[in-house]
Amino acid sequence: MKEKNAEEIVLEIKDKSELMVDLAYSSVLYDNKIIAKEVYDLEDVVDALYRKLQRKSLEDVKNGKHSIDDALILLRIARAGEQIADAAQEIADVELRDVELHPIIKMSIREADVVFTKIKVEPQSILCGKTLGQLKLASETGMMVIAMRHKDRWLYGPNKNTKIDPEDILFAKGPEDGEKHLIELGAGLSNQI
Amino acid sequence: MTEKKKRSIFGRLQRTPKWKKEEFTELEYEPTSVKELLTEMKDISELIIDLAYSAVLFDSDEIAEEVKFLDVRMDKLNYDIRMMAMMAARTKEDSEQLAGILQIAEAAESISNAAGDIANLLSLKIKTRPIIPKILKKADESLFRIEVSPKSKACNQKIGVLKVESETGMRIIAIRRGDCWIYNPRSDTILKEHDWLIVRGNDEGCIDLNKFLKGELRVLE
Repeated sequence: MKEKNAEEIVLEIKDKSELMVDLAYSSVLYDNKIIAKEVYDLEDVVDALYRKLQRKSLEDVKNGKHSIDDALILLRIARAGEQIADAAQEIADVELRDVELHPIIKMSIREADVVFTKIKVEPQSILCGKTLGQLKLASETGMMVIAMRHKDRWLYGPNKNTKIDPEDILFAKGPEDGEKHLIELGAGLSNQI
Repeated sequence: MTEKKKRSIFGRLQRTPKWKKEEFTELEYEPTSVKELLTEMKDISELIIDLAYSAVLFDSDEIAEEVKFLDVRMDKLNYDIRMMAMMAARTKEDSEQLAGILQIAEAAESISNAAGDIANLLSLKIKTRPIIPKILKKADESLFRIEVSPKSKACNQKIGVLKVESETGMRIIAIRRGDCWIYNPRSDTILKEHDWLIVRGNDEGCIDLNKFLKGELRVLE
């Protein structure tokens, strides 16, 4: 595999850290320890990426690929992403503790501007057998799928080639009116995407 | 300090930035429910990341200013939620559960600090910045700037009625109208002609929204 350049690493840190925040909030909303554990794993990934970036950007400066200013900006953006990832881990940590969650936590996350939702894909749903790219769920319903469960397997931050099968469980975030639409699609009550 | 620089700062009427006003207001105890505080903190923690990246991407000091304001606001909310939580604790079980709430609040606050750091990149020299758009434009979900054309059906319509987000997946995070800004618009916010929207979403959604706001597409669906 081709080694990633510094810009690609920064971008990966940014995307991963934002996914982690979404996953962390949904883990406490659904009282789901598996998602919370994934946030922990992703935090390790982000840490490793950050360390790799530090070395890479120093090398780039030495080879004259980047100016010192460019390298500094890359490192600063990445550090902010890394801090965001740490914060997401803190949230997931609350879920992993053996203390029952305070009901207020769920209520606050439910009432926020962006809602999280969990749906089961019924066999009669038109989502079955299609990829996320074909369905264009994000641009048609406003709901972005952040994680899904396929039998015993979990998939986090699925991409457009990810296929949806019957009985899959989707975790998504988006606006309130999009949530209703997605629930109907998943239950097979509506065929209009 | 050079004489010229001194003259440009001193002796001139200057508006106090909003974040400074917020920072120096006295912290007063206002009973607010923990739930309301936590909801606001969660909302800010998500909005502020997008705003911070927009500030550096579009080179906007005004958006950076708003990030600073939200960051300071977050400090106050975090202080309030600690006080409210302490007052609510009666038993050991209470405090265990409330500790969880405070931890989430603290995390939301660190997110806003990180966003503040991103927005601070704007204070660097201009010539170093082209690398930022180069990175951010390639993200899964990117930030875009679109103008509302007078020909578009969006003029004088509420965002909630247009269902911008559920039809295109594009989330409007800020609106620029003349010299003013509206951050985190609500569903009853009305779009006007020549508004500049800062939106977040994927490329496909952006193409649709762009056509609609240019007036090439009559309805969003």
